[in-house]
Amino acid sequence: MSGFEKYLTSRMTGEDSHTLAAFKKNGGYATLERALKEMQPAEVIEVVKASGLRGRGGAGFPTGLKWTFMPDPAKDPRSRYLAINADESEPGTCKDRIIMDEDPHGLLEGILLACYAMKCEASYIYVRGEYRHQYDRTAAAIVEARAAGLIGKNILGTGFNCEIHMHKGAGAYICGEETGMMESLEGKRGHPRPKPPFPAGFGLWGQPTTVNNVETIFNVPFIVEKGSKWFRTMGSEASPGNFLVGISGNVNKPGVYEAPLGTNAKVLLEADHFAGGVSEGRQLKAWFTGGSSTGMMPGSTVDVAMDHDSVKAAGTMLGTAAMIMLDDTQCVVRAMQIIARFYDHETCGQCSQCREGCQWLHQIFKRIEEGQGREGDIDLLTSIGNGMAPGKTICALADAAAIPAHQMIKHFRADLEEHIRDGGCKINKTGKCAAGHSHDAPATEKAEAQA
Amino acid sequence: MTKITLNGRELEVDASKPLIAACDTAGIDVPRYCYHPGLEPVGSCRICQVEVSEGGRPARVMAACRTQVTEGMVVNTEAAGAHDARRECLEFLLKNHPLDCPICDKAGECTLQDYSFQEQQAASRSTEPRATLEKRVDLGEVIMLDQERCILCTRCVRFQEEVTKKPELTNAGLASNSYITTFAGRPLTGNYQGNLADVCPVGALTLKPFRFQARVWNLEKSSSTCAECSRGCSISVEVLRRGDVKRIRPVFNPDVNQWWMCDTGRFSFPEVNDAERLTGGLIASGDDLMGVTTGEAIRHAAGVLASSSKTALLASPFLTVEEAAEVKVLGEAVGAELLFVSPDPNELKDDLLHTGDPCPNRNGLEQAGFKAISPADAATRVTGADAAILVGERILKLLAGNSLGSTKLVTLDTAACLASGVEACISIPFYVEKAGTWINVDGHIGRLTIARPIPASVQPLERSLVELTKSLSRAGASV
Ligand SMILES: Cc1cc2nc3c(=O)[nH]c(=O)nc-3n(C[C@H](O)[C@H](O)[C@H](O)COP(=O)(O)O)c2cc1C
Ligand code: SF4
Ligand code: SF4
Ligand code: FES
Repeated sequence: MSGFEKYLTSRMTGEDSHTLAAFKKNGGYATLERALKEMQPAEVIEVVKASGLRGRGGAGFPTGLKWTFMPDPAKDPRSRYLAINADESEPGTCKDRIIMDEDPHGLLEGILLACYAMKCEASYIYVRGEYRHQYDRTAAAIVEARAAGLIGKNILGTGFNCEIHMHKGAGAYICGEETGMMESLEGKRGHPRPKPPFPAGFGLWGQPTTVNNVETIFNVPFIVEKGSKWFRTMGSEASPGNFLVGISGNVNKPGVYEAPLGTNAKVLLEADHFAGGVSEGRQLKAWFTGGSSTGMMPGSTVDVAMDHDSVKAAGTMLGTAAMIMLDDTQCVVRAMQIIARFYDHETCGQCSQCREGCQWLHQIFKRIEEGQGREGDIDLLTSIGNGMAPGKTICALADAAAIPAHQMIKHFRADLEEHIRDGGCKINKTGKCAAGHSHDAPATEKAEAQA
Repeated sequence: MTKITLNGRELEVDASKPLIAACDTAGIDVPRYCYHPGLEPVGSCRICQVEVSEGGRPARVMAACRTQVTEGMVVNTEAAGAHDARRECLEFLLKNHPLDCPICDKAGECTLQDYSFQEQQAASRSTEPRATLEKRVDLGEVIMLDQERCILCTRCVRFQEEVTKKPELTNAGLASNSYITTFAGRPLTGNYQGNLADVCPVGALTLKPFRFQARVWNLEKSSSTCAECSRGCSISVEVLRRGDVKRIRPVFNPDVNQWWMCDTGRFSFPEVNDAERLTGGLIASGDDLMGVTTGEAIRHAAGVLASSSKTALLASPFLTVEEAAEVKVLGEAVGAELLFVSPDPNELKDDLLHTGDPCPNRNGLEQAGFKAISPADAATRVTGADAAILVGERILKLLAGNSLGSTKLVTLDTAACLASGVEACISIPFYVEKAGTWINVDGHIGRLTIARPIPASVQPLERSLVELTKSLSRAGASV
């Protein structure tokens, strides 16, 4: 099973993989040069379309198709932009981070190809505020690339002009939602915009804009270089290519791994060249399939192919493919409470249901976790979730907050009932879990309690 | 125009406006908080959900304020799913609401109350502690903010961004701790702050001059026209127990003021709540003035005018078109030129509504043949005559500060004249106590209606003018 072709991480070796020199040694920017000189923009779109590449930002939208939503520049002469979503704030997700850390030129080459394809005059990279190192690496790469004539006017003497700008977020999850991100880029509060209009018609500063995730764009040079047929040799029919899986939690080797889409989650969890199994040989109690928004599934469901359709058929979502693994020493109610706290903190607060619902969910889960649960709480949680989603609000954050609550009730009702009946969490009361490990409250909660 | 089916009725609607506007035109009230017809829809409160089916697809619940009408769309605002969605939304909105309705100035005209009633959202299932925020944030001279009552609809923020184009408010804080505040906590400025209390659907932004002044259901509301400049905004004059005007608010008028009015007009009502107002009449008696009935004052005035060989007439720019017609008859009887006092434009002029011209019926008076004259020139006309008639609301104020010499004065105003030559003062109603017409700067008709009964000892100006003219001809005949 380790015998698959890796390309995403192929250049991420050595201390200097982020430099232009190392990148060029590996053939970097050759694809860009060939495309600029030999391909029409429409041909680049065609290749990406044919490859079946799907967005890696969470929703899995076909990238080539998204690019065709941009208006025809002959009929619509407005400025056109590509916005790169590097806000990576979904709990558990840390894949874009390694790209910016170790192969920022690969991202830049992808951006330039995408801008060429969609005839965008500039690209904005919106980087999660906490990603200082990644920001610096990418910024340094831009400086190098500009000096080498790869960014700016008349790139590689082909007459193609393209600027790349960077912007640091200030730590808000909602600025990863594409329209919240555009508001933030414009210097406003990151309040998502109601859609329609969609970004392709009315995006950054009201101009046609495409928003893509870092990993999505990072795939593009490989596809343009090796072709769509090659790309489709990996992954599944509906989800071709490799993806970066972040595996965290109670595993022996947490980290970001490259694997073909459709690789079984059990393999990703257990194989030695992936996460190497649940920590200390314990049982898997629960797992998030693709970031906190997908909610928790029982450990027994881990035998599933990690591609969009298979995970959906299993009753959840691929999301950002960030697998968070919880072993049987963990309290799922507590995990749920932490997730609920996250959404309560991160909703932008525009939509009534989302603002109040996120708070309400958190308050109830917190009560249950602390032993103040009541009969009727579970029904109330279900009904609050139903009031928030699906599709009842401006953006999908309300859904992202409601889904984990619904999943919790569907799959871990017994744990909730036990907490309500027993007046809280056994693990909390004894300070020890079933396996006898100590469980301190996280530092932030302690600080809150002291304050 | 686009054809849609709305609650079973086929209608032609304007496709450039959102679905909620079509519902409004059809007289169907869809609940709304963030939507205001005068502001860009943002679709954030989610209360306006209705059931929509397009192209024969299964019906979905959608926010009417952000839904584009399309040909053949079938809309049901009363579908069970729509009511459920609105009820859910209300429960969320009320989750942290302080429910201090008994002492809230908005109670009675609060749509959080109204829609909760309408959607029968009576019980809350929340037992969690309610958020505590600032209940008295002083935003300057006009507005007090109660952050607990705020439902974060951002109408106030957008009013400033889109209408006055001077943003001073913003939402700050995060998530359920979001709140409205001014930038750097500075007080609000400008002449349009009062509109913030109108657009606020709840009691979060209240007018300081109206706080704890009245229960709104005790106010009798009459539509009228603002007196404070030649724009003549359509207003509602709101009177408590046939007494004081407690509040003036704008009334939607697409041709004149849309939904707005300025603070100068809004807070002009102390002018008409004058406890010292003149009632009946006054006539000169030795060095003093003697209180008499209006009829006696008119007869005395007629005598004075009959014996004057040169009489000046100075009208107030507040006269209605109807009053002006009677003044004209009187003016002709005394052989006076038709003049109205027109002060210099003031510094209140802006690009929104205020014209800077304090004469509400300039247009009407000019059309009736009156000529504008400055207060100083008006005073000169007075001093150059034997007798002068000063007629109309605020005429004495407009001439204040100018010497009127010892010319014999006959005044018809809401106040008494204290100048040395005064012979007769005849009381008149305030503009909120009469029916009539003003013509605004753009030629639009502004109607005045009787918002408050005139005191028994004051009679309508037109009647006093008719009586004065009649009694003058009798006096003239007997001279
Ligand atoms: C609440 C919320 C947060 C999101 N955060 C991110 C993020 O951090 N990074 C990201 O790439 N996409 C994020 N998305 C998805 C984006 O809105 C958008 O779909 C994505 O960037 C599109 O890129 P793709 O088509 O390449 O996947 C988020 C969506 C929501 C609703
Ligand atoms: S759904 Fe939540 S996060 Fe999204 S716009 Fe509405 S309030 Fe903001
Ligand atoms: S203060 Fe009033 S108008 Fe402003 S956001 Fe709050 S509820 Fe809306
Ligand atoms: S009125 Fe439509 S969402 Fe607020």
